[in-house]
Amino acid sequence: MNLIELLDKSAATWPDKPAFIEGENRVTYSALATQVHSIAAVFSELSLQPYSRIGLHFPNSIAYVELTFALWKLNVVVVPVPVEGTDGEMAEIVESLQLDAIVSPTPRSNSIQVQPDCHLTRYARNPRASHHDLNLAFIRFTSGTTSARKGVALTHETIRDRVVTANKALEITSNDTVIWTLPMSHHFLVTIVLYLSQGATVVLARHVLATPFLDAVQRWRGTVLYASPFHYAMLAQDKSSTAISTVRLAVSTTCAISEEVAREFEKRFHLPLSQALGIIELGMVSLNSTDASGRWNSVGRPLPDFEVQLLSPDETGAGELAIRGPGMFDAYAAPWMPRELVAPDGWFLTGDIARFDGDGYLYLLSRKTAVINLAGRKVFPEEIEAVLNRHPAVRESRVYGRPHPHLGEVIEAELVLDGEASALDSIRAHCRAHLASYKIPSRLHIVTELPRTSVTGKIRREPVAAV
Amino acid sequence: MTDVREIESSLLDFMRREVFAPDLELTAETDLIASGFDSMSLVRVLLFIETSHGFWIPQGEINAETLKNIRSLAATVVRLRA
Repeated sequence: MNLIELLDKSAATWPDKPAFIEGENRVTYSALATQVHSIAAVFSELSLQPYSRIGLHFPNSIAYVELTFALWKLNVVVVPVPVEGTDGEMAEIVESLQLDAIVSPTPRSNSIQVQPDCHLTRYARNPRASHHDLNLAFIRFTSGTTSARKGVALTHETIRDRVVTANKALEITSNDTVIWTLPMSHHFLVTIVLYLSQGATVVLARHVLATPFLDAVQRWRGTVLYASPFHYAMLAQDKSSTAISTVRLAVSTTCAISEEVAREFEKRFHLPLSQALGIIELGMVSLNSTDASGRWNSVGRPLPDFEVQLLSPDETGAGELAIRGPGMFDAYAAPWMPRELVAPDGWFLTGDIARFDGDGYLYLLSRKTAVINLAGRKVFPEEIEAVLNRHPAVRESRVYGRPHPHLGEVIEAELVLDGEASALDSIRAHCRAHLASYKIPSRLHIVTELPRTSVTGKIRREPVAAV
Repeated sequence: MTDVREIESSLLDFMRREVFAPDLELTAETDLIASGFDSMSLVRVLLFIETSHGFWIPQGEINAETLKNIRSLAATVVRLRA
């Protein structure tokens, strides 16, 4: 199967319906499919090998979507490369995921123009990445520890299964208009692909301010909002009288929402925020579409297609969340490790500590992993520590998330220095050169030693208190 | 007490370093949104203000007027700090 079939089917069913609205530009399903096939025809002249891996280094746009489907049509594996990354971060994705080429809106040295504002740069490399006899469509890069596996690989069939499963809870139809704000390089499959498979209209409204966002909801009669708690906090404090009564579902994703934002948003718009649990290895596992008002802090009942258990529960019933179901990832990409080895009996261990209430609603309590969630962006402490530790004045470092009332967590670092404290400015400059700006620690603390576990001597990673 | 010019200059420094591409000629009057200021940029700037001035600007204060440019943002910091 190929995901282009989902788009072709929508184009045949709803040819004149807008698939995308961006500013004053409306693109119908028919026009979108025509453009995708025409881009695919241009790419096919470039002799891209099936299952070659191509990085997509594009900002949010209709072009982003067209390129993804065009590459899929040619059985190319699409790898999103976030535009906010530094050159070093991009090089790491190219290297670790063995990309064959990258497409971007601006030319690079040795790039060839595919069409206006689309340039392809090939990387000469040998040997090419194997596709392991899988019908791969997509690899999401995940930076982790040096020992962790980078990249989550998904086949066309897996993505289709995720879309079908998630829509049992989202219930998106061709009557829906989704107001979209999040970066496509981080959110695409059970969102954009799902909406397009159901004939919905997607309004690209990536506004930083509340007023233009609400205006877009009103103007286009939005029915579904999909945003992060940070966006909802902005909207909750809107002082205008703009109503968004057409909206039936406001999905909050990427990190836990605070009670204050949940309550204020509902009070302002008479609409509760539905928290979703999305996991890159699994897709959308849970959505609180049935009691978002009463249980604002629950991610809802897990979708019926998933089996869920809590491992080693404590006396309160809280345990590690393990999940089994459709749409599970096919492999970790680098180094390659197929799902069957990661989850031999089909159970995926999420690393989240969770509990159920008496009615089967799921609550996330904490994580076993040290990943930091800054306003919805996942940040791996080991990645930042590796950069810090390369600075000559840093002997060692520990990076952690400090709870923050408005952002979930913020990034801080403790440093043991070999040099003078005056090196801090140079360390900050070093971070700016090597890390996307949101990954730069907001505070650097100089310490004489790092907390370590008494047994293994590893850096301790237990939660840090809020200030 | 830090005056508005100093705050303006520290915001300008910060945004030149950490928010915008180095080739953008950023001044206190540059239109931020038109220059590509997005919600992650806002997260960074609100955190910078919190770290350097000790308070969080409520997101309800962030609108087209206050986020027009660095001058209006610095004036907002001074007004809310008072």
